[in-house]
Amino acid sequence: MNPVAESIKEQIKKVRTAFEEALAAAFHTEALEEARVRFAGKKGELTSLLRSLGKLSSEERPAVGQALNALRDEMEQRLEARKRQLRDAENERREAEEKIDVTLPSRGRPAGAFHPVYQTLHELVNIMQGLGYSVALGPEKEEEHYNFDCLNMPSWHPARDMQDTFYFPDDGSGNRSLLRTHTSPVQVRSMLKYGAPLRIVCPGKTYRRDNDPTHSPMFHQMEGLMIDKDVSFSVLKGTIAEMTSAFFGRPLKNRFRASYFPFTEPSMELDIECVECSGHNPHCRICKGTGWLEVGGMGMVHPEVVRAGGIDPDVYNGFAFGFGLDRMAMLKYGINDLRLLFDGNVSYFLSGRDA
Amino acid sequence: MFVSWELLKDFIELDVSPEEAAERLTLSGTEVESITRTAGKLKSVVVAKIEALENHPSDGHLLVAHLDSGGSHSHVCITSAKNVKQGDLVFYARAGSVLPDGMELGMRDFSGVRSDGMMLSAAELGLPDVDSPDGLLVLPPDAPVGTEASALYHIGDTILDVSITPNRGDLLSTLGIARELRGLFPHSTLTLPYWLRPLEQEKAWTEKFGAISLPDEGCLCYRLGLATGAKMGPSPLTARIDLSHLGMRPIVNAVDVTNYIMLTLGQPLHAFDLGTLPAREITVRAAHEGEIMTTLDGRERVLTPRDMLITSGGEAIALAGVMGGQQTGINDDTQTVVVESACFSPVRVGHTSRRLGIGSEAAFRFARTVDPTLSRTALSAALKLMRDWCGAVVDYRPLAAENEFPAPRSVTLTKKKLSTYLSWGNMDEATKIIEGFGIKHTFGGGDERTFLPPTWRPDIAIEEDLIEEVGRFRGYNDAPSRLPGELPHRADAGGPTHLAAFVRQTLIARGYVEVMTYSFLPEDFPSRLRLPGDDLRAHPLMLANPISRDQTAMRTTLVPGLLMSLRATLASGWRGPVRVFEQGRTFLRKAIDSPDHVETDRVAGLVFNGSDPRTPWKGQEEDFYSVKADVAALIEGRGFRPIFVPGQEPFTHTGQTAEIRIAADSGESQRIGWLARLKPALEQELDVSGPVCLFELDLQPLEEAKRPALHPSSPFPASLRDISLLVAADRNQDDVAADIAAAVREAAQAEGTDSHGEILESLRLFDVYAGKGIPEGFRSMAYSLSYRLQDRTLRDEEVEAIHGRVRESLSQRGYSIR
Repeated sequence: MNPVAESIKEQIKKVRTAFEEALAAAFHTEALEEARVRFAGKKGELTSLLRSLGKLSSEERPAVGQALNALRDEMEQRLEARKRQLRDAENERREAEEKIDVTLPSRGRPAGAFHPVYQTLHELVNIMQGLGYSVALGPEKEEEHYNFDCLNMPSWHPARDMQDTFYFPDDGSGNRSLLRTHTSPVQVRSMLKYGAPLRIVCPGKTYRRDNDPTHSPMFHQMEGLMIDKDVSFSVLKGTIAEMTSAFFGRPLKNRFRASYFPFTEPSMELDIECVECSGHNPHCRICKGTGWLEVGGMGMVHPEVVRAGGIDPDVYNGFAFGFGLDRMAMLKYGINDLRLLFDGNVSYFLSGRDA
Repeated sequence: MFVSWELLKDFIELDVSPEEAAERLTLSGTEVESITRTAGKLKSVVVAKIEALENHPSDGHLLVAHLDSGGSHSHVCITSAKNVKQGDLVFYARAGSVLPDGMELGMRDFSGVRSDGMMLSAAELGLPDVDSPDGLLVLPPDAPVGTEASALYHIGDTILDVSITPNRGDLLSTLGIARELRGLFPHSTLTLPYWLRPLEQEKAWTEKFGAISLPDEGCLCYRLGLATGAKMGPSPLTARIDLSHLGMRPIVNAVDVTNYIMLTLGQPLHAFDLGTLPAREITVRAAHEGEIMTTLDGRERVLTPRDMLITSGGEAIALAGVMGGQQTGINDDTQTVVVESACFSPVRVGHTSRRLGIGSEAAFRFARTVDPTLSRTALSAALKLMRDWCGAVVDYRPLAAENEFPAPRSVTLTKKKLSTYLSWGNMDEATKIIEGFGIKHTFGGGDERTFLPPTWRPDIAIEEDLIEEVGRFRGYNDAPSRLPGELPHRADAGGPTHLAAFVRQTLIARGYVEVMTYSFLPEDFPSRLRLPGDDLRAHPLMLANPISRDQTAMRTTLVPGLLMSLRATLASGWRGPVRVFEQGRTFLRKAIDSPDHVETDRVAGLVFNGSDPRTPWKGQEEDFYSVKADVAALIEGRGFRPIFVPGQEPFTHTGQTAEIRIAADSGESQRIGWLARLKPALEQELDVSGPVCLFELDLQPLEEAKRPALHPSSPFPASLRDISLLVAADRNQDDVAADIAAAVREAAQAEGTDSHGEILESLRLFDVYAGKGIPEGFRSMAYSLSYRLQDRTLRDEEVEAIHGRVRESLSQRGYSIR
């Protein structure tokens, strides 16, 4: 064997050993970079060995060249692997140093909170829109004409006793302005505006001269109205079942009690199964042990009201219903005192946060 | 209204319990709110006879009674009552018995004499109204010794508290409830109490009496009955207990009779002493405009022709159907009683009682319609009770006058409508049900039948009313339930509700709490907000009949509600940040003196750092600019560009108020609200330190959301350049930015680089500084400009050339470039 070749092989061995040592001693990227320059750099030891290939005979060159190339590839791989190893170790160290207390409070504003009554209003509107109902709104300062007269409640009518009314000063026109006592006037206004067939809900504020723990002078209702040909009570029933079940998130038993409203005939009141005890607790503070909660009034629209809406009651009929939104909200969100809803104390609305 | 189960037994044979009857009544429209057993826990209290009565050996205030209560031996019982004597019958509660309120009696020592329980007063029996408050209740001589009290004199009654809907005036009596139960329970039978059987009334009056005239048709009929030789005194014990159970205080027999008849039959009556009538004549007429009458309660009433008066000799003695006058009545010496039984129009009585705010029992009933044919029957029954309770002679022929009664109206039921409404159409069964309620099937068969409602059911007027009778009898709970098929066309998608949902979602996500405050405000809110007289908001609509002064004026802005919310929050001890918003209507007059108004949907917000806003993080404080981001989010979220220009509001910080405008398609901008810090003086009034920032926006302009115009960014790179300017401190940033943009446009044009005027991709302010190194009255503003074209890469020298021109042009506009 050629002594030159021998010497190159010898040197390859040395270089490899030195490389191994350098790699093992490189504990940070700078040391690794030094090793790369020393061995695989342009002026590195391996490069100078490659240069010495020229001194070999053409028979020897391929074998030695191969060995050198293999060494170069191996060095590059191992350098790369070591580099990754070191980077990982460094990142690991860094992450340990950068540890934060994830339990510190968040920065920026925490989310606010909804008002249960508005939440109820929007939930119910969404449910009813899914059933094909549109939203119609009306003025809160209403005319006696729409609030009472069109709804089959002339001024002498004792049904007006059921609704203690806020009036505005009499302007002598014979049609006094008042704060609407229910959302029902929107029925007639909508019939006049859109005609038949019609499917609407009218959510909004209503007012009565009442002020005690269970009555607020301002409260909220959602009226529903469907006018079409040959409308049956069965459809009212189906609609109500759909609405109450969707709102409370489970099928609830409904109980329809015959009742009286001047603007519907026949009329009923709706009781739903107690959302608290489902009738199982004789001492339930929500339903007082009856198992039922009164939540709304409804019925088939009185022909005179259909007529007042400019629609021929011999061709069209329909149903209407009205729900107390404050009551629904109190039931769904477990609120006991109506007055808490209207004083705007944020600590109350945010109090659910810790729960 | 209270219903006595014992009295009901006089009117109907019914084989069900009060609970079953109540359930049926409730489901069929007459809600029974409660059922009360009047005897309560009463146990082992019996009738006893006082066999002997002697003075207590040592205590002069007490008596010792020896009682026979039907047992094998007599009982010793102590009393301090002075109204009993030997031989009297009393209720006796011996040791071990229980009173209605649950009190159990025992043996008790009274100065050496042991009393075995006690003898009872009416109050101790739970009936304080039926006897005088002092003394024991002395029973009638035929009281059966040894019998339990709960079995006597209706003491052990069951009282239903029913709520009667306004259309069913006929149910305001025992008779009415009996008729209703007859309809609901087909196997029951109506019966009559003895006092409803006809009375011989043929004698002419012993007292001379002139005519009854009814010039006002609002009086349907008017009858007078005569009772002579009446002795005023207490009514029979059972009657007093009945009245008391039904919520009416027994007074004197002649008056009790009228109340008893009203409660049992539903006919309001009035009894008066013939001697107190100004003249022996009655006229029922319309009041004159402005006529004044003093009613029983001592109040002067100013009348109109819609009110009706009962007059005698030209003098008003009663407001017809509503309330009596002061002069006529019964007194202890009355012997000749005249009983009035009349019927008045529900419309007229309704008007009068509503206008004058008088809610008497009579007015309540007349306004809900009293059967006009009832006055005859009721008068005869009342006279019979006058005979039995007052010992009067009553068989005189009543005097009467009548106007025309409303004609009975037939109503037809068709199978088509019945089956449409109720999804059920058995006409034969329906007929049976309807007839059960006393509504007669008069003609027709098959699918179309005609019915005649009785005189006491004027509420049955249209076909739907008959359907309701069937529906409520059958109950609605077994009817099929379904949803309608196809969807009708949508009248309106509910834009305002969608916008309201967007606003609340946006603000809640941005940290606001949704609140709701009253639409009415204290009447002085405009002055508290310092609104000047020429501001429409200073002239709210005022309620004519507010509940309180604090809820009188309709709000013209949402601001006072939010300030109240802040106050309530702080008062509750909350110390952190307060962020609240409200959506609601405001009510503005169209002009300062106009009664016409506009209702506007608005949103308003309030932000306050709180009394202790400390956090571990820096730079978290709320101020004008943090709230500005929320307002911008609301407006930009609807696709509009918000514009903030300096503005003024009477209640805001003069230096920190912006008017909010949105750009309209026309190029003009539209004012939609304001954003500001509260006036420091008002902050001080609220006793808060630090800024309170507020905004209020009209929602209507945002209702129709604008679709945003989206476009991809250029595929070619941008060139960034910064520029820093010295700007006079009173110059608005918006104007500076506009100057830079204009300078870029001109420069690009001059260089011929940008044909579309789009070269300035963005202009972003990144620093504002005043203070050290900046001359007084100036501030430094630093912007980053991004130059970019859509169709090619900008060369460096092009950018340099343009930017150079921009700097030059800004210098010419008076800015010094730093």
